[in-house]
Amino acid sequence: MNREQKIIAFCCNWCSYAAADLAGISRLQYPGSIRIIRVMCSGMVHPEMVLHALEQGAAGVMILGCHLGECHYIKGNEMALARSEVIADTLEDLGYASEQFQLTWISSAEPERLVEAFRTMSGRLAVLQSEQPADR
Amino acid sequence: MQPKLSFEWLHACSGCEIALLNGGEQLLDLLGQVEIVHFPLLMDHKYGGQQGEGAPLSLPEADIGLVSGGVAHTEHLLVLQEMRKQCRTLIALGTCATYGGIPAMRNEWSTADTLRTVFTAGTGDNDPVMPLAPAFLDRVYSIDEKIKVDVSLPGCPPQPQLIGAVIKALINKETLQLPQKSVCETCPTIREGEKKMAPVRRFLHNADYDCDQPVSEMRCLLEQGLVCMGPVTAGGCGGKDTPLCLRARVPCRGCYGPVRSGGNQLLDMMNALASNGIDYRAIVDRKSLLRFSGAHGLLKPARKKN
Repeated sequence: MNREQKIIAFCCNWCSYAAADLAGISRLQYPGSIRIIRVMCSGMVHPEMVLHALEQGAAGVMILGCHLGECHYIKGNEMALARSEVIADTLEDLGYASEQFQLTWISSAEPERLVEAFRTMSGRLAVLQSEQPADR
Repeated sequence: MQPKLSFEWLHACSGCEIALLNGGEQLLDLLGQVEIVHFPLLMDHKYGGQQGEGAPLSLPEADIGLVSGGVAHTEHLLVLQEMRKQCRTLIALGTCATYGGIPAMRNEWSTADTLRTVFTAGTGDNDPVMPLAPAFLDRVYSIDEKIKVDVSLPGCPPQPQLIGAVIKALINKETLQLPQKSVCETCPTIREGEKKMAPVRRFLHNADYDCDQPVSEMRCLLEQGLVCMGPVTAGGCGGKDTPLCLRARVPCRGCYGPVRSGGNQLLDMMNALASNGIDYRAIVDRKSLLRFSGAHGLLKPARKKN
């Protein structure tokens, strides 16, 4: 694992943040590059927050919300879903890789799924970094 | 003693200078209130040192400095730093100075690419046309990336009345509230709500309107399916009246830059469209939404794919 690499994970208060809590209690291991930021809903993560994280040097950004249909605020995660396609496409336009962004649904009872998502993301970014041409 | 005014241009087209001169009677008032010490568009003024005497670059001291244009090469940078040193208050005038503007569209490619495709002699070899020209920087910068700016006044060009008002406020040491809302704020077109949006189409056909009726009888262009950048663009182009492009019944092109400084017009526009359930992929050349705000590292060469 690259010690410099940082991954910002926006976790929904009602599901994935609770899952991260449970992962901690269950002593599940996940990469140390993950930095969790608790948000009240995945739908409140504006694309500019994702871009800002990348501009500040994050290797990747994840948004983790409730499964579709289970949003605490009824439709917040649907908003996140609509935005996520825009984010992935626009990142390419702005000179980043769409792989640097990931949206995943995690319920509060799925710490394993959360840890798996963290691992996959970390691995994917490591591959991306090794493929990066040296001059950029 | 009258305050001294200095007006320098960098990577710009002189449109901002002409906007100031276009102010009508307010210009006459202004000329009586300031002493212009440096203004390359209007008066000949040597930067010094060409004959080997004195400092290689020196500009006169001034109370109010206006700078139009972004920073593209080493000479721009030197002139800009000298301006900052000599001017008590420095105004970034125009979208090139505040957000990079049109010249910053070259940030979409690397400097090497630009030199190769644009600035070669066309003889097949890669010799630049102007071997003695100052070296390009790695990209086009807005001036606030290089020096401290006291007032940012975007626009392509900024509204003449607003330029005059800002200079006057500085002379009289008053504070002035600059417009902070989007173009839509003063747009009188009819909005029927997001449910009735038409699919995005290119501006190859006119918008639907009755030319005998005022703009306030026209349907919002974005709701007609034309990519109007009004929602993500700072307002002020038409003063308190209808925005200028809308007066001509064409969609806003985004020339005043993002509503908030630090905003990203491309991302905000895509987000606004997607949140309203519009197929943003129908926009063919999305990157061009940053046509006026490519500095601050927003426009970058595409990532090399393996």
